[in-house]
Amino acid sequence: MQPDPITRRRLLGTLLASGTLVAGALTAPRSFAQAAPALDRGRLVVVFLRGAYDGLSALVPWSDPDYTRLRPTIAVAAPDGTAATSIELDARFALHPALAPLLPLWREGSLAVIPAAGSPNRSRSHFEAQHHWETGLPDQSTGAPGWLNRLAAMDDTRSRAVPLIGVGEANPHILSGPVRARLIPRGEAAGRAGVIGNDATRDALLELYSGDDRLSRAFREGVESRLMTSKELAAEMMAADNGAGNPAGLVREARQLAALMRADPALRIGFLSAGGWDTHANQGAATGLLASRFANLARGLVQLHADFDRPGDLVLVLSEFGRTSAENGARGTDHGRGNALWLIGRQVAGGQAHGRWEGLARGNLNEGRDLPVLHDFRAVIAQPLARIFGLPERRLADLFPGATWDRSLDGLVRRA
Amino acid sequence: MPPVQIQPNRPARHGRRMRRLDIAAMTAPFAALALLAAVTVSSRPASAAAAPQPPALTESQAVWRAASRLGYWPSEERAAAIRAHAGGARGWALDEIDRAFEASRQPARVPDHLPAVTTALSTVFAEARREREERFKAVRTAAAAAAATAAAAPQQQMHQMPQMQIQQTPAPERMQQQGAAAPAAVQPSSVASARQAATWRLISCSDPTVENPLLSRMTEFWFNHMNVFAGRLTVRPFVGHYSLHAIRPNVLGRFEDLLLASARHPAMLFYLDQNQNVADGTPGPQGRVRGINENYARELMELHTLGIDGGYTQQDVRELARVLTGWTVDPDGPSGFRFVERLHDTGEKTVLGRRFGGPGAAGGEREGIEALAMLAARPATARRLSLRLAQFFVADEPPRALVDRLAAEFLASNGDLRRVMRMLVASPEFWDPANELFKTPYDFACSALGVSTRAAAPPPVMLTLGFLASAGQPVNGWQTPDGYRTDAATWLTPESLTRRADLAAALARGLGEPEHLLAFYAEPTRERIRRVEPGSRAALALAAPDFMRK
Repeated sequence: MQPDPITRRRLLGTLLASGTLVAGALTAPRSFAQAAPALDRGRLVVVFLRGAYDGLSALVPWSDPDYTRLRPTIAVAAPDGTAATSIELDARFALHPALAPLLPLWREGSLAVIPAAGSPNRSRSHFEAQHHWETGLPDQSTGAPGWLNRLAAMDDTRSRAVPLIGVGEANPHILSGPVRARLIPRGEAAGRAGVIGNDATRDALLELYSGDDRLSRAFREGVESRLMTSKELAAEMMAADNGAGNPAGLVREARQLAALMRADPALRIGFLSAGGWDTHANQGAATGLLASRFANLARGLVQLHADFDRPGDLVLVLSEFGRTSAENGARGTDHGRGNALWLIGRQVAGGQAHGRWEGLARGNLNEGRDLPVLHDFRAVIAQPLARIFGLPERRLADLFPGATWDRSLDGLVRRA
Repeated sequence: MPPVQIQPNRPARHGRRMRRLDIAAMTAPFAALALLAAVTVSSRPASAAAAPQPPALTESQAVWRAASRLGYWPSEERAAAIRAHAGGARGWALDEIDRAFEASRQPARVPDHLPAVTTALSTVFAEARREREERFKAVRTAAAAAAATAAAAPQQQMHQMPQMQIQQTPAPERMQQQGAAAPAAVQPSSVASARQAATWRLISCSDPTVENPLLSRMTEFWFNHMNVFAGRLTVRPFVGHYSLHAIRPNVLGRFEDLLLASARHPAMLFYLDQNQNVADGTPGPQGRVRGINENYARELMELHTLGIDGGYTQQDVRELARVLTGWTVDPDGPSGFRFVERLHDTGEKTVLGRRFGGPGAAGGEREGIEALAMLAARPATARRLSLRLAQFFVADEPPRALVDRLAAEFLASNGDLRRVMRMLVASPEFWDPANELFKTPYDFACSALGVSTRAAAPPPVMLTLGFLASAGQPVNGWQTPDGYRTDAATWLTPESLTRRADLAAALARGLGEPEHLLAFYAEPTRERIRRVEPGSRAALALAAPDFMRK
C-alpha cells in the first residue's frame, strides 16, 4: 500500500482514520478533474460474481494467525512453493493456487486488489445487495436504472449507436435503463442468425412487427443487432477456435464480449457474470468446489486481460458481499460484509493491495464475524471513472449520490 | 366465496407503471361482445350499470387471457369450453380452479417413458450414493495421475482437477458436459433423471390431456417461489420428485402444508444446506466440530415467507436456524426426511419475539413445525405471496387494491390458496384490458409446443429445452433460490425476441394453417400471415406479436 502524502492526511483529518464515510459529494482532487467527459479513452468491463464469493480464499491473508484459527478446515495453506498451498504476493497476502494464471498480471502490475471493500448497506440478502451494487444506490431498494446504464447516458461523445453490451444473462439490472444495451444470450447459439438470416422470413416478420409499440420496436432492434452479432461472432469463433475445442464458461463469454466490442467501437461498456459462489457448505480449500470456480474465473480474467489491452481499458471484478471470516459448521461460509474487489488494466497501479486492512483479530471484525467494509465500493469505482475515463465530479456525484471520494485510494490509478 | 366487487374506478397502482406493453394497441378492436356481458356472473346484479364502463376485453380476448394465464394456450377444446360456459370466462375460470384442485389430489399421469420422475425416494438416494462413489473413484484416479505428473513441476496442474460441479452454462449444455466428462461415457442416472424431470415439466404444460393446465401453472409458480436448482449435484436427482410430490399436491391447498412439504423435501434440504444445519458444537467426523448453517433459515424468511422487508433481523435468521437444527434427509425412509434429536439445539431461542424451546416449551421437531406455521400466518407473508401471485397472473405491477384484498383473503382463510386464487380470477383486475402480461420464454415455449404437438409424433422436447436454456430460462435451471422473474422488463429484450422466431419455425415444421389460433389475432396480423404460402403460416403465427402476450 502506498502511504498517503502528508498534506492529504492533514486534509482528511480524523474522519478517514476512523473509517467512517463522510456524507458528501464524490470530489476528485483538482489535478484529475477533466474538462470534457468522455468514455472514449478506454473500455470498461464489469465481471459480477453472483452469490458472494469468498474473498478470503482468493486473497489469502497468509501471515495472519487468525486466518487458520478461524478456518481450521477450509483455510488455504500458507505459501510453501507447492501447488497445494497459496501463492505469495507480499508479506500479508497470497493468491489461491487455482488463481495462479493471474500471477503474471499481478507481477506485471496490471492487477490490483482492494482487500476490504463493500457496500455501506448492511443487507445480507444476495438479491437486495446485488440490486444495490447494480444500481450504485445502496440506500434504496426501489427501481432505478443500473449504474452502467446511467454511466453510458453521461457520455457526451456517445453516438446514437448502442454503447452497452452484456453476454450471458438474459437482462442484468446493471445494464438496464433508458440507454440501449445489446444482450447476447449464453452459449454457442449467439453466433447464429437463425430464421432472420432468411430474407423472405425476415421481411414477413418485420411487417408483423412494424408497429410503434414497445414490442415491435424491440423486435426490429433485435433483428438488426442479431444480424450484426452473428456475423461478428461467426468470424471470430472460426478464427479463434482453430482446433482448440470449445471453451466453456466465463472464458467463452469473455471471448464473445471481446470480439463484439472489437467489431463495434461504439460498444464501450461490457458486462459478464459468473455464478455458483454461495458456498455455505464443503467449499474446499486448495482444491474442491470453490477452487474449480476460481479456475474458471482465472481463465476468464486472463482472456479479458489479453483482449482488453488498450491503455484505457479496465476490468472490474465485483461481488455483492463477502463471507464470514470463520468457517461455519458445514465447512463452508455464511453471508458476511467486506470483500476483496479486483481491478485489471494498464493504468491500474497493480501488483499491490490498496486501501486499509486490519487483519482478522476478533476486535477488528464486523459484528465479531465478518471482514468489515473499509472502503465503499462506489469510492473504489469512482477512482478509475475519474482518472481513466475522465468522468467529472458532478457526474460522479450523480452516478453515486451520497458516496464520498476516498483519498486513501488515490494511488489506485496511474497517470496515463 | 365472498361476493365479487365491481370497482367502477381503476384502482391505484404500485408506483409508476414502467415499461407497459402496448400490445393491445396493435390489436384492432373487435366489435364483438363486451367483456362484462361475457364474464359477469349471473347471480350478481350490475350495480354500476349507470356509471361509465371502462373498456372491456372482447369475448375472444377473454378466452385468450383465461386459457393463457390459467394454463398456457387456448386449445380448441378449452376455447370451446370457455365459450360454452354459462358464467362466461369468469365462471369457467372459477370452475377450472376446482378442476385443478381435484387433479392435484390425484397422482399425475406421468408417461411411461419418464420413470425417473416417479421413482421412490429411497431408490433415488441409493442411486445418488452409487453415483457419488463412482465420481470419487474417478477423481481419486485423476488426482493420482496428476500428482505423479506434478511431482516434478510444482505450482502447475492444480486447476486441471476434474470439476465436480459445472454451473452457469445452460442446462442441456451443462448436462452434455457432465455426460462427456464421465470417464466411462455412461450417462449418470441423475442426468437422465433431471432430463426426465424437465421433460415432464414441458409435457405437463403443453398437453392438456396429460395434466390440467392450471395445475401445471400453479406448480410452475410455487416451484419457482421455492426454487431448487438441478445443476447442484446433490439436488439434481431429487428435482423431479420435489416438483411432483412436494409442490404439485399442495398448490391449491393450505400454504402452511406447501411450506412444510418443501422444507422437508431432500431437494430443498440439500439445496439450502439445511441437512448440514446442526447444533453448534456437534461432534463431526475426524474430531471436527459442526454447527449452525443459516442458509435455509435466511431464504425461508426472505423469499419463501416474509420477504426482505418483512421485519426480521440477522439475529432472527440465526435463531430460526437454531430452531431448525436436526431437520435433515433420510436416505432410507419413504419421505426422505427425518428429525435427528441428537443434532438439535435444545436451548431457548427467540424468533420474531416468540420463544421456542428451552424449559417448559415443546421442543424438538415441534419447534420447527411451529416456526413454519408462524411464518406462514404472518401478514408480511400474506402480502408477499399475494403480490407475487398478482404479478404472475395479473400484471407486472399489479393494482395495490387487488394485492390488499388477496392478502386479506389469505389471512382470513388461514392461507387457503384455492380461496386466494378464486378471489384473484373473480376480480375485475384479472379481466382488465390494461393489465397486460408478456410471455416469458417458458410461457412461449409451452404454448408453442402445445399448438404444434400432434398426437402421432413425440413432442420435440430436447429442442425446446435447448431454446429455454439459451433464452436464459432453463427448466429447473435457475441457480439461486429467488426463482425466475416473470416480468416483461426482464424478458422483453431485442435479440431474444428474434430467437423466439427460431423456435416457432422449428416447431411449426409440417403444420398447416393454424386457423384456430389465427381467429384470436388482430386483423393486420392475419392478413399478413395469409399472404405467405400455406406451409409457412404456422411458423409466422407462432412468431407473431399476438402470440407473445398472455
